[in-house]
Amino acid sequence: MKNLSLMRLSIWAYLAIFFAYLLGPLVIMSIAAFNSPEFPRATPWECLTFEWFSALFQDERILNGIKNSILVGFGTVVLSVAMGLAGALMLTQLGPKLRATYYTIIIAPILVPGVVIGISTLVFWDRINRMLGLDADSFLSNGLFLTVIGQSTFIASYCMLVLVARLQRYDTALTEAALDLGATHAQAFRKVLLPFMKPAIASAAVLAFLASFENYNTTTFTFGEYPTLTIELAQKVRYGITPAISALAFISVLLTVFAALFNEANIRRKELVALARKQATVEELSRGSFKMPGFLSSNWAAVALVIVACATVVVVGTATVYSPQQCIADVQEQKRLETELRIQELQRQRELRRQQQEAEQGSTAPAQSKPAGNNSGFGGVFAPSTLSGEDSSSAVEPEAKASGFGGAFAPSALSGEETSEGSGN
Amino acid sequence: MPRFLKEFFDRNGLGLGSVMLGLVLFWTIGLIILPQLSMLDFSFRPNLPPPEIGGPKDLYTMENYKYLVFGPEGGSQDYNAVDLKVFYRTLVAAIFVTIFNLILCYPIAYYLAQTKGNHIRIFALMLIIPYWINEILRAFALRIIFGETGVLNNLLVAAGIFDTPFDFVRNDIALYAALGYAYILLMIFPIYNVIESLDRNQIEAARDMGASWPMIHRRVVIPYAKPGISSGCTMVFMLSAGALAAPQILGGPSSLWFTQLIYQQFNDNSDWPQGAAYAVVLLVTCILLVLALMRLFKVNMGDIGK
Repeated sequence: MKNLSLMRLSIWAYLAIFFAYLLGPLVIMSIAAFNSPEFPRATPWECLTFEWFSALFQDERILNGIKNSILVGFGTVVLSVAMGLAGALMLTQLGPKLRATYYTIIIAPILVPGVVIGISTLVFWDRINRMLGLDADSFLSNGLFLTVIGQSTFIASYCMLVLVARLQRYDTALTEAALDLGATHAQAFRKVLLPFMKPAIASAAVLAFLASFENYNTTTFTFGEYPTLTIELAQKVRYGITPAISALAFISVLLTVFAALFNEANIRRKELVALARKQATVEELSRGSFKMPGFLSSNWAAVALVIVACATVVVVGTATVYSPQQCIADVQEQKRLETELRIQELQRQRELRRQQQEAEQGSTAPAQSKPAGNNSGFGGVFAPSTLSGEDSSSAVEPEAKASGFGGAFAPSALSGEETSEGSGN
Repeated sequence: MPRFLKEFFDRNGLGLGSVMLGLVLFWTIGLIILPQLSMLDFSFRPNLPPPEIGGPKDLYTMENYKYLVFGPEGGSQDYNAVDLKVFYRTLVAAIFVTIFNLILCYPIAYYLAQTKGNHIRIFALMLIIPYWINEILRAFALRIIFGETGVLNNLLVAAGIFDTPFDFVRNDIALYAALGYAYILLMIFPIYNVIESLDRNQIEAARDMGASWPMIHRRVVIPYAKPGISSGCTMVFMLSAGALAAPQILGGPSSLWFTQLIYQQFNDNSDWPQGAAYAVVLLVTCILLVLALMRLFKVNMGDIGK
C-alpha cells in the first residue's frame, strides 16, 4: 500500500513538473505584459502597467500582419480542406497496391521540413512564371498566392488525416442508396456525404487555420510583400522588442482559454441535459416539463468561464482609470539613487586604495577590488533603499536612465573603468 | 480511356470525379512532386542573374554540393569545416531533442491513455492550449525565462545555487528546451493513440504473473506502442532538424542551425541554387536517417501519421 501511494505521489510530481514546463512560459509571458520595463521581463517586478496593450493596438505592422494572416489563413483553409477531402476520398477508393505509394506521397509533406517546402514552392513557381514569360510581379510570384500554395502543401495532409478518420466510418451503402433513388452524383455528395463529414470538415478547417496562422518556416520564404503576423513577430523579436509582444501573447492565451472553456462548458452542458432527459419520466418528457439543469450547476467549465469573463471586465475597467506614472517615476528615482550610491562607494574604495598604495608604495596590486554594491542580475532593485544618498551629482543622471536593463550593466561598466584606472596607477 | 479511370468516373460521376481528380493531381503533382524535383534540379545549377537563366552558361554543375563539403574554391581550408560542423551539430542535437522528448512524453501519454476520469479531459485541454499560441511567442517566452537577467537566473542566484547568472542561451540549453517544448504534442498524441487501444487486461495479466513495472513496460506496453513511438519520434526528429524559428530566436551567437544557413543563402546571399542544394542535403540526410532507424526498429512507413 505504501508503495502504491509513493508511486501516486511521484506520478503527481511528474505531472506537476511536466505542466510547469508546458504552461510556465505562458504564465511568465503574461506577467511580462503587465510589467513596466521596456524590455519584456517578469522579474524584477517594477510597476503594474497597461501601456503595452495600447502600444500593441497602435502598432501598424502588427495590425497589418494580422490582416495578412487572416487573408492567408482563409485561402489556406479553403484550398487545403478541399484538397484534403479529395485526397481522403481518393485514398478510400484506390486499390491496395497503389494505395501505399499514394499514402506515402500525401503524408510526406508533414515530414518534409517547412524550410524545404518554402524553398521548393518558391523555386518551382518562379520557374513556371519564367516559362510563361510573365513579369517578376505577376500573380504567380505574388506573396499571398505563394504563401497559400506553400502552406496548403502540408496543411492539406493534416486535413486529410482528420477527414480520413471520419470517412472510414462512413457507410458507402448510403451513397449507393441515394444513387439508386435517382440522385445525381453531385446531389449524393452534397446531401449525404457532406452532412456526414461536416464535423470533421469543421475541425479540419480550424486546424488548418491555426496551422496557417502560426506557420513560420514555410512563410518566411514565400511571403513577399505580405508579411504575416508570425513574420512580423519574428522580425520584432530579432530586431528589438517591447512587451507589446507579451501583451499579444497574453491576449492570445486569454482567447484560447475562453474558447477552450466555452467548448468544454458546452460539452458538459450537453452531457448534463442528456442525463436529465434520461432520468426524467415518460410523462414529464411528453409534457416537455422535465427539469433542465441550470447553466452553471455542476458544470465547472461554465463557472470558470464566467469567472474569467468577470476578471477580464474588471481588469479592463481598472486599466482605463489606472495610471502607473507615479510608480514608474519612483522606480526610476530609486534606480538613480542606487547608482549614485554605488558610484560613491567606488569612489570611496578608490580613495582608500590610493591611500593604501601611497602608504605601501605600490607593493600590492589592486586585484581584490570588487564593487561592494554589485548584486548581479537584480539590477540593484532589491538593495535596501534606506541608505539613500546625500547629494546628487548630475554626471550620473544618464546612467540611471539606461533603459530596461535596470542598471544591471552599470556596476560592471564602472568596475571596468575602475580596474583600468587601477592598472594605470 | 483506361479501365480504372472509367471505373472511377462511373463511381463518382463525371463532374464530381473530375473535380476530385483535378484537386488530387494538383496537390500531389503540382504541389508535392514537381516543386521537389524542381528544387533538386535547381540545386545543380550555377547562380546566374535572371536574364542568363536558360542561356548557354546554365549548365548542370556539382559546384553547390562541392561547396558544402570543400568550401569556396581556393579557400584556405581543405574542407568547409564551418558548414559541415553546423550540419553535424544540427543532426546530433535533433536526435538528442527527440530522445529527450520521448523520455518526457512517454509517461504522460501512458498516464493519459490508461487513466479514466474527468481530470484527463482537463489535462488534454492544458496540453493543447499552448499550441494555440504563436510559435514565435512561445519561443520568446522561453527567452524571458532563460535570458541572462531572466526569471530562471534570478531565481537561481537568489536561491544561492549560482553566484553569477548562467548563460543558458550561449550554452544552447534554451534552444533545446524550446525545441523539446515545441513538439511535445506531436510526440504525445501518436503514443497516446496507440496505448489507448491497449487492453488493460494485458497489463493486469503481466502483473499477476509477477512482472515488475519496468518489465511490464519493456515487454508489454512498449512493443505494443512501437508504431506510435516511431511515428512520434520521426515527426519530432524531422521537425526539429528543420526548425528555423527557435534557433533564430534562442540560438547562441556562435551556434547556428543548418536551416539558418539555408535561410542565409536565400535571403542574405541571394544564392538560391546554393540554398536549394543545402535544403536537398538536409532533406535527403534526414529521410535516410529516419529510414535507417525504422529498419533498425522494424517499423513500417504506413504506421506514420496514424
